Amino acid sequence: MSALLQVNNIRRAFRTTLAIDDVSFDVQPGELLGLIGPNGAGKSTLFNLIAGVLPSTSGQIIFDGKRVTGWKSHDIARIGVGRTFQIPKPYRQLSVVENVMLSAFLREKSLAGARRLAEATLVDVGLTDYIEAPASSLSVGLLKRLEVARALAMGPKLVLFDEIVAGLTPTEVGAMTKFVAALPSRGITVIWVEHVLYAIMKTATRMLVINRGKLIAEGAPAAIARHPAVVKAYLGEEMDIA
Amino acid sequence: MSVEFRPTRISMLPKRGQISWFEILSLSISILLIIPGIAPNFQDVILLSFLFGGLALAWNISGGYAGLISFGHSAFFGVGAYTSTILLVNYGVSPWIGVWIGALFSAVLGSVLALICARLRGPFFILSTLAFAEVVRIGALNWSSLTGGPEGLSIMPTPLLTNMVFASKTTYAALMLTYLVLVYFVTKSLEASRFGYYLLAIRDNEDAASAAGVNPLAGKTAALALSAALTGVGGSLFAQYFLYLDPTYMISPELSFQFALLPAVGGLGTAVGPVLGSFLITPLSELLRSHLGNAAAGLHLVIYSFSLVIVMLYFPTGVAGALNRVSHWRPFS
Repeated sequence: MSALLQVNNIRRAFRTTLAIDDVSFDVQPGELLGLIGPNGAGKSTLFNLIAGVLPSTSGQIIFDGKRVTGWKSHDIARIGVGRTFQIPKPYRQLSVVENVMLSAFLREKSLAGARRLAEATLVDVGLTDYIEAPASSLSVGLLKRLEVARALAMGPKLVLFDEIVAGLTPTEVGAMTKFVAALPSRGITVIWVEHVLYAIMKTATRMLVINRGKLIAEGAPAAIARHPAVVKAYLGEEMDIA
Repeated sequence: MSVEFRPTRISMLPKRGQISWFEILSLSISILLIIPGIAPNFQDVILLSFLFGGLALAWNISGGYAGLISFGHSAFFGVGAYTSTILLVNYGVSPWIGVWIGALFSAVLGSVLALICARLRGPFFILSTLAFAEVVRIGALNWSSLTGGPEGLSIMPTPLLTNMVFASKTTYAALMLTYLVLVYFVTKSLEASRFGYYLLAIRDNEDAASAAGVNPLAGKTAALALSAALTGVGGSLFAQYFLYLDPTYMISPELSFQFALLPAVGGLGTAVGPVLGSFLITPLSELLRSHLGNAAAGLHLVIYSFSLVIVMLYFPTGVAGALNRVSHWRPFS
């Protein structure tokens, strides 16, 4: 099976600082890849490189057989990469359903069709009661769900989730985790950045750990929880994920 | 048995992408206003309100929906006016055709502005549009062989249908109302289209729009081209009414501010807003000028500016926003 996403020796410098330093990894279709690391490790930068928001300084990215290095973010979105923003970026003057319709337009050109798709997606993420609400009226927790709905309404092959459960109540975290865990069975490959470790360690099929722009560990969640380098850089102590 | 609430098929107050009774009623009143003898002393004010309503709507396509606040739209107004007038005066091309050629030139100029300046955000974009219009104005002033320079151009005042010159103000009023209705129709179609949604998304959050597959630069360019084309049409009609044009008025910052001000007062990013803004501000500025202009120099400007401050302070979402609040007013619940 060929990889859905290949990241080869990618580098990104901000002036003299290497935010991402020679990172390579593959993502197979149907994986739920967890990406963790301390604050400032370069997780969001890596997402921005894959999504085309930032150009890479060197290296290449191949998605779905296409060499997408240097592509603009809207072109990458069109070939099936959805993403959420760590700090939600809703269209504030539009309603919740209109926010999602804008993503659904990638699959459905008509307004009525896009609306049906958007409504179905909103029911899916548990925003049924807020379909007609103005996006500006949503709380942080609900905005995170809106971010997820927008990424999924595009009908993506790969989604990049950036801290979608941070700031949620334990019940909400549980519901969202269960929801994300089910995505690969619907044909959606996931890369998930998260600081809420018990959520991601339970769900991910494989973990990547980065620190100071470098990949420091890779493997099954159980192995990562005891990995010496990860413990030193991030966890502080070995983690019990049972 | 419970009484089920059924919304009527046509709503009372304006809604995005739909026609309301409010709009049907407003159009009926507008048609009444141009009937000769109904408002004989106000024909000038009425037809200018129609024209500036259309111009405000045209500005609103890029400024209100796409969030591209431009203080340079008089450049498109001027290019439209000069194109149709030069074609008429020098080459005998009927303005009925020249208007559309002017619109095309304006659209090209609008795309150029977008491709150069639309990458800039916020105040930097606004300043660049101001500078852009100044370049066009200075160009028009100095290219005397084409534009007549500071002396301007005149259209022969003999009424002739093929020259779009009329004897009666009623005909001009009908022409301006047709223009207003045309731009209104374009705006409503935009609201009910995918492209219209793209513009709203680009305005509200460019990064999010791009992540959803929307190309922000392409959207902005198309919005500015459309807005510029419709502004150019308004410029041609203005020239056909006043039969004279010079760069100092046609491509002035004052005029650019006026185009931006009317939608801001009426309600940015709405279809009714710019029209209401024009019907509030255009008569006010015209009447103040004609009644106070001689008595106390500048007094009309003081009153005009003061009224604007009041509107901006108490109706930040414009008249359309106030209307919207009325429609959601539930005093007994």
